[in-house]
Amino acid sequence: MITFIIRRLIATVFLLVVVSMITFAIFFLVPRLAGQNSYQLATQYVGRNPTPAAVHDVEAKLGFNDPFYVQYGRFLKAIVFGAHYNNGPSSTYCPPPCFGYSFRTSQPVWPQMMSDAPVTLSIAAGAAVLWLVGGVSIGVLSALRKGSVFDRFSMGTALAGVSLPIFFTGLIALELFSYKWPIFPNVQFVPLTQNPLLWARNLVLPWIVLAFLYAALYARLTRAGMLETMGEDYIRTARAKGLPERTVIVKHGLRAALTPIVTIFGMDLGLLLGGAILTEVTFSMQGLGNFTIQAINNQDLPEIMGVTLLAAFFIVIANLVVDVLYAVVDPRVRY
Amino acid sequence: MRERKRLGLAAFAAAGTLLLAACGGSSGSSGGTASQGTTATYGAAITGVVNPSTHKGGTLTFGDSSTPDSTDPGNTYYAFMWNFTRLYTMPLMTYKSCPGSCGLQVVPDLATAPGQVSADGLTWTYHIQPNVKYEDGTTVTSQDVKYAVERTYDRSVFPLGPSYFPLLLQDPTYPGPYKDKTAGKMGLTSVTTPDSTTVVFHLAKPFADFNYVVAIPQTAPVPQSKDTGANYQLHPMSTGPYKFQSYQLNKTLTMVPNTNWSAASDPNAKQLVNKIVVNMNVNANDIDNRLMANDLGVDMPGTGVQAAARAKILASPTLKQQADNPISGFLWFFYINSVVPPLNNVACRQAVEYAANKVNLQTAYGGPIAGGAIGSTVAPPTLLGYKSFDLYEATTQPTGDVTKAKAALTACGHPSGFSTNIAYRSDRPKEVAAATALQQALSQVGIKTQLHGYPASTYYGNFAGVPRYVHSHDLGLATGGWAPDWPDGYGFFQYLTAGNSISPAGNTNIGELNDPVVNGLLAKFGTTTDAATRNSYTAQIDMQVMKDAVMLPEVYAKSLLYRNPNLTNVYVQQYFGMYNYAVLGLK
Amino acid sequence: MAAPLDVFPPSADATPDSVLGGVSGKAIEGRSLGQIAWMRLRREKVAMTGGIIIAVLIVVAIVGPFLVQNPDVYHADLINATFSRPNGAFGGISLAHPLGVEPLTGRDMLSRIVNGARYSLLIAVLATALSVCLGIFFGVISGFFGGWADSVIARSMDVFLAFPLLVFAIALIGVIPTKAFGLSGNSLRIALLVFVIGFFNWPYMGRIIRGQTLSLREREFVDAARSLGARGPYILTRELLPNLVAPILVYSTLLIPTNILFEAALSYLGVGLYPPTPTWGGMLSEAVSNGFYSVDPEFMLVPGLAIFIAVLAFNLFGDGLRDALDPKSR
Repeated sequence: MITFIIRRLIATVFLLVVVSMITFAIFFLVPRLAGQNSYQLATQYVGRNPTPAAVHDVEAKLGFNDPFYVQYGRFLKAIVFGAHYNNGPSSTYCPPPCFGYSFRTSQPVWPQMMSDAPVTLSIAAGAAVLWLVGGVSIGVLSALRKGSVFDRFSMGTALAGVSLPIFFTGLIALELFSYKWPIFPNVQFVPLTQNPLLWARNLVLPWIVLAFLYAALYARLTRAGMLETMGEDYIRTARAKGLPERTVIVKHGLRAALTPIVTIFGMDLGLLLGGAILTEVTFSMQGLGNFTIQAINNQDLPEIMGVTLLAAFFIVIANLVVDVLYAVVDPRVRY
Repeated sequence: MRERKRLGLAAFAAAGTLLLAACGGSSGSSGGTASQGTTATYGAAITGVVNPSTHKGGTLTFGDSSTPDSTDPGNTYYAFMWNFTRLYTMPLMTYKSCPGSCGLQVVPDLATAPGQVSADGLTWTYHIQPNVKYEDGTTVTSQDVKYAVERTYDRSVFPLGPSYFPLLLQDPTYPGPYKDKTAGKMGLTSVTTPDSTTVVFHLAKPFADFNYVVAIPQTAPVPQSKDTGANYQLHPMSTGPYKFQSYQLNKTLTMVPNTNWSAASDPNAKQLVNKIVVNMNVNANDIDNRLMANDLGVDMPGTGVQAAARAKILASPTLKQQADNPISGFLWFFYINSVVPPLNNVACRQAVEYAANKVNLQTAYGGPIAGGAIGSTVAPPTLLGYKSFDLYEATTQPTGDVTKAKAALTACGHPSGFSTNIAYRSDRPKEVAAATALQQALSQVGIKTQLHGYPASTYYGNFAGVPRYVHSHDLGLATGGWAPDWPDGYGFFQYLTAGNSISPAGNTNIGELNDPVVNGLLAKFGTTTDAATRNSYTAQIDMQVMKDAVMLPEVYAKSLLYRNPNLTNVYVQQYFGMYNYAVLGLK
Repeated sequence: MAAPLDVFPPSADATPDSVLGGVSGKAIEGRSLGQIAWMRLRREKVAMTGGIIIAVLIVVAIVGPFLVQNPDVYHADLINATFSRPNGAFGGISLAHPLGVEPLTGRDMLSRIVNGARYSLLIAVLATALSVCLGIFFGVISGFFGGWADSVIARSMDVFLAFPLLVFAIALIGVIPTKAFGLSGNSLRIALLVFVIGFFNWPYMGRIIRGQTLSLREREFVDAARSLGARGPYILTRELLPNLVAPILVYSTLLIPTNILFEAALSYLGVGLYPPTPTWGGMLSEAVSNGFYSVDPEFMLVPGLAIFIAVLAFNLFGDGLRDALDPKSR
């Protein structure tokens, strides 16, 4: 098991390098393929009507004149060893992992991302708990009461949840529960350390909207999995042994059905941690998702690279955790 | 100096009588009898001060739907930041804090008087007030002003601000203080400081508008020992009524009163509240809702409320009393390129002017209240020297004149029309709607167009602002918006229409106009010392530009602003086209 | 008295088929998998409703734009310019404009929805086709041949799955200019959207196909074919692929609604097709970005419901298809 984890961690590093190369290549090569030179690129990061000298200065500072591999090499070196940045009168040291300095604000990217991360984490973690518990329970109940009104209703709602875009449901939720009937007025992020009650209250709407979307999927998956396992022979044996029904359902039935759910949960949570973009934009919370959108709109390459790699990192680690959990949940799996 | 003191005392006396009334917890309208104040009605803040008061206390909250470009006074180009920086900096000159056209005047701020010009127009001397202090108690010297100007030359550290100093002064290749090898880092030879209260600027060519140039926040003093370069934006040394307490980048800025500020030295700002908080990246609709619920003091960008709030405000008589609809000083327009065929023929361009349906364009920008008044000139009415004229029936036949358009087409040799492309910024819904409206109007006279959207951040740098790109992609028409760096003809027309402004990237003379009449008049701005004469050129330039038909004006932008009833000293500063942030207080 | 053996025709075999055939007068043919599936599907009313809606959508997407008015025409007289909203209740519904008009431009909503259907469905279907083709190709090779081909392909699937897809799509589309690779304007955008959605989503399909191939590879009929002398390509095309049709069909039908939603999200975030071309996501985005949904809720509800109905229909049909094709479920 340990060797498996170590092997996977090494593969993770390799994977992240590949992701960073592709991302960098896209942002570096594509504008040039489209015929834009580095002077034109630099004008984006200067004020209105700059003198040519000003544009050249910025060009030089941002290193646009260097070839691709030099710029990329500089980027990699900063992540591993840190880098020194000239901020004017002095130079500051940016410790590893150093994702560089924002083209726009000349402030380091990593601390900025770290200050936005708690927002995304709050949204993702809270919603994840809700959708996992809610989705799985509804799925189990639906499977046990197959064909009943409860089953049809919950599966119907689940289908609706999967079919609605989240920015649509989010907006309707905001319009109804925040503007029209001020049950949740002023939905803005309050840090957990500042005021836990307000933190939770302001997050209820994003949690519910996000959880609604995913719970639907999990309910359907759980139901399908449960239906399959409950028909197996060993369930009949367990009942014949005289075990209480609850043990049969949870310990024997649900456990076996959990494998696909664990897979998908890992992937979903990993993806969400990298920035619940649509949710954050809809509820205007300054998390990694909004950070991403702003970075793209500003064509701020260090910020884009930083947040893409962070998101990729979460996804890959989540997959690793999921694979390890397989071994825990399903005794047949051996590494 | 005397003039100002007298005015100040009178204001204080008048305000004092209102002090008791205002603090007495009275709701509804403010004291309407005082000569300074006006009752709170729709549009009252455009012409007068609403709720004048000297009452102190409270926390003033600003909401921003995005972020400032920079809080460093040497590195910002946003209009609302030039307004907001007066809360913590004092440039050499500033715009007078008063309502109406009074607010277009530039008056001394840190300086004691407007600049003294030498006979050849190349030397401008300013004396600064001797006892202005920073937030830490040290005195401001003229060397600090010189240093502030010096650091803006290092564009690799401060890329975002305007470039007037390298352009106008004698020493354009100065590398900036961080690369400066001279002792004391005072190597900029075109700015000299004969003593600690005198600053002398040495220009390369006469430039009569120089007082406007030093009103830019870049002249706000920066002490060399406290300059942290790119990090200075996190805590600039304050010479204004407030100082930074904490700043979480892109999130929240908190300011508290600067105890070393003296009201006598800075009559254009007031220190009335105990705390100022700026919340950034707040959803625009959220800002509106909180404004109307009196949870928020000011909408910082100052460009007006969104559609939902607009409907609520205009429909409710009580809410409407708290709103103003000022001219914001912006012009929304289309550039008509003069190089891409067949638009290189002026008659074809005039056909576009006649054919456009200006009412639909106005509707695209939000109608008469939120969009603005239909424009027939390039200069908006708040520009010094503005004269009204209408060459293409924009006000007499605003839905367009198909007959005259077709006649113009025949004159340029394309009686059945031609094809070209319209460029616009795809992330601005109003520009999308305007481009679509123009496309439809032009198609009715046979001008077929294709729409091309580009992201706003790269619009000028990579696409519409790159003449090579414009030519190769046939971009005959491009949307644009413009507000002047200072409210006279030069500030408006230089970068839009001067032949020597055409640049290979980041070009804002997208029409590529190179008209000797226009160029000549703009050059005269530099040498004409009499302000009234200078301002008379504005209308002449405007008329010529419209004759050349390189701009299709759409609307003189207006915005619907909402005034929180708890705010005091609220009025629209005409230069900024939004409320004056430097004087606000709370009831 | 007749002999008991005379009851049966002397020439018939004693097989049930011929007996029954003798009774009803017609030989019964064996049913193919497709026919069985179709019969079971027909019985699922909910799934058939989904299928009918899909058929209607396809017809609307293909024929609709010719039957409705021009979606780009401004009707400035139908809106109140001061408030930027349509005159009349419910977003300006009238006989001429059954779904109302847009608040800023007065354009007819019905024609924009119908034209939007064409683009939304086109992009979603093409992207799904791309994902499916890539997924089948790589999944089958990876699952069947194993070895280093499997390692390489499985690892690259990991790479693609590691990409934060939405980020990537926005960033990539934002970076490519308006004329490239010989295409320009909307055709370039459509190609880009199809490429991004399809290309980055292929691991989803690829993993499923790979899993199926891995399990099918071990089955007896493959061994049997091999023992008869069949080689790789033959086994692939004649033995494996037909058995993969079921999961391919099911997951394609379920991938289309995901792609519709994805395209809507991309349009919402600003990298959809160029205006004035209507797409459902783009219309939602316009309704939201300026707060028009407060003043004119129909502007948001109409495209939102269109997306909802389309996605729901595909999901229902896909579910029914899966139930019909899966011999185990009943």
